[in-house]
Order: sequence, then C-alpha cells, then structure tokens
Amino acid sequence: MQKLEQLAFETIVNAIQSDAIEIRYETPLIGAGSILDSMKLVEVCLALEDVAEERGFEFDWTSESAMSTKRSIFRNVRSLVGHFCEQGTKE
Amino acid sequence: MIIVTGASRGLGRAVAVSLFKSGKEVVGLSRNITDCSFPTLTCDVTNSESVKAAYKQIKGFKQPVSALINAAGVASMNLALTTPIKTVEKIINTNLVGTILTNQAFAPLIIRSGGGVIINFSTIAVSIGLEGESVYVASKAGVEAFSRTFAREMSPFRVRVNCIAPGPIDTDLTAGLDEKQIEAVVQRQIIQKKFQPENVAELVELLLDDRTNSITGQVLNVGGV
Repeated sequence: MQKLEQLAFETIVNAIQSDAIEIRYETPLIGAGSILDSMKLVEVCLALEDVAEERGFEFDWTSESAMSTKRSIFRNVRSLVGHFCEQGTKE
Repeated sequence: MIIVTGASRGLGRAVAVSLFKSGKEVVGLSRNITDCSFPTLTCDVTNSESVKAAYKQIKGFKQPVSALINAAGVASMNLALTTPIKTVEKIINTNLVGTILTNQAFAPLIIRSGGGVIINFSTIAVSIGLEGESVYVASKAGVEAFSRTFAREMSPFRVRVNCIAPGPIDTDLTAGLDEKQIEAVVQRQIIQKKFQPENVAELVELLLDDRTNSITGQVLNVGGV
C-alpha cells in the first residue's frame, strides 16, 4: 500500500512537471488555489491510468465521487492518491 | 484507427464501409454484430459498463485512435403530446446520453494519440424545428450543444469536435417513412435534394482530413438550412 501510494504521488508530481511549485499532499488540484488547469488535470489522470494498467487494475476517474465538491477525488493530491490506492487494493 | 458507433446499419454502416474501403483502419461498434466487412465490437452506447468494456478492448489493441464517429442513434416521429415516457427515455438515452458516454470514454484514446477528430451526428430537424419530432430534436439539440462545448474542452488536446446534421438520407432507417414527409423536409433544405449515404461519408472524410484543422465546434447541416 505504501509503495502504491508513493508511486501514485510520484506519478502525479511527474505529470504536473512544475519547477515553480513544490507539490505536496495538501496541494489542491481543483477549485480555489489549484495549480492545475483542466488540461494538466487530464494529463495527470492519463498518467495514473497508465500506472494502474501496468499494475493490473483499472483507475476510474469518472466516478460519482470525482464530481462531488466535498468528497472530490481532485480536492488535493492526497485525495487523488487515496482514490488511486483504494482502486488498486480493491481489485 | 477510427471508431464508428452505430456501425451495423444506417449512416454508421455507410460511413464505416466507406472509410474501410478507402483503406482506413476501422472498428465498428454496435449492439448487435451483423455481417460487416470491417472489424466490429459489441457495444450498447446507452450502457456505461458496455462502453467501458469496448474502451478496454480498443485500448488493448495498442493502436493510435485518430477519430470517433458517433452515428449510433434512434429516430422517432411522434408529437410530443403523444410520446410515451419510455420512448422519450429511449431517445434521450441513445442519442444524447450515448453520445456523451462514448465521447467521454474514447476521447482519452484520441488524446493519447496526440489529437484527432470527433464527429457526432445531429439532424437538420434541429435547425428547422421540425414538427412531429420534438423529442428527437431535443435529444439532437443536446448533442449539438454538447459538441460545441466539448470542442472547447478538447481544443488544448488538439481534438476537434464537430457535428454533421443530415436531412433525410436513403438508408434502411428511412425506408419505412412516408415519402411525402421526407419530401416536405427536403423542401426546407437550401439544396432541395435528398442526399445519399455516400454524401455524408464524404463529409466525414472531409472533416477527418487535416486540411480542415481550423474547423471545430461546428454543426454542418447537409443540404443547408
């Protein structure tokens, strides 16, 4: 689990490719204070989808929770990593 | 590779056959696999799980996807006041929800390929407000609005999204319709002519061509309105 979490975090950091901002677990991905535009967000999801496929599970980024403001998987890096790991350990 | 939904009959089949004959790699999606000259997969566009399954299969081919042509749809000529709710749901689910689900599922494949083209199908009946087709027109107006907006969302990924809106076209789907009704619609087109499936297939090929890379978020009414 810890390995998967680390892998997800690194994948997100690499996909964002920002020298200007240090990516932390609390970095918001959508809403106020977000460092990403919608294009980057899709790129992050595609990168995570690739990692999931390599590890033999499906990363679904169109779930109901992805849309919820309070529970959105895109609230911050931590919530996205959590959602990714949840799907990885479920299958 | 080009994905064509609704490929077992009507315009979807005509477009898929035309593209396949011209040497394009085509995969046709339809609820029922019929005898087709091109490769096909079973997919019910109204069912998100079925669309996801098709997505997985196509992704598994590990080939670049350059286009999605969404021709799956149902037509129904009814006065709004007499249309049963089941029919309303079927029309909206197939035409509008089906278009959204397939765009949502397959656009990432096109993004991964570095860009491409999505063509959704509407109808000329939207622009002329054709009486007797209120629900059908509403579903297709939704497709047009979705496509215009989705074009903006996809533009950064070099994916162009357009709609083709045909009038009555000679296919098995229009074979059972009253000729007078068809002629009445044709008379409302700028070019008062009943077009053939080949004309629509040619328009598809034109929009797939990189020479039309400045065209996105548009609705092309076949015959003009």
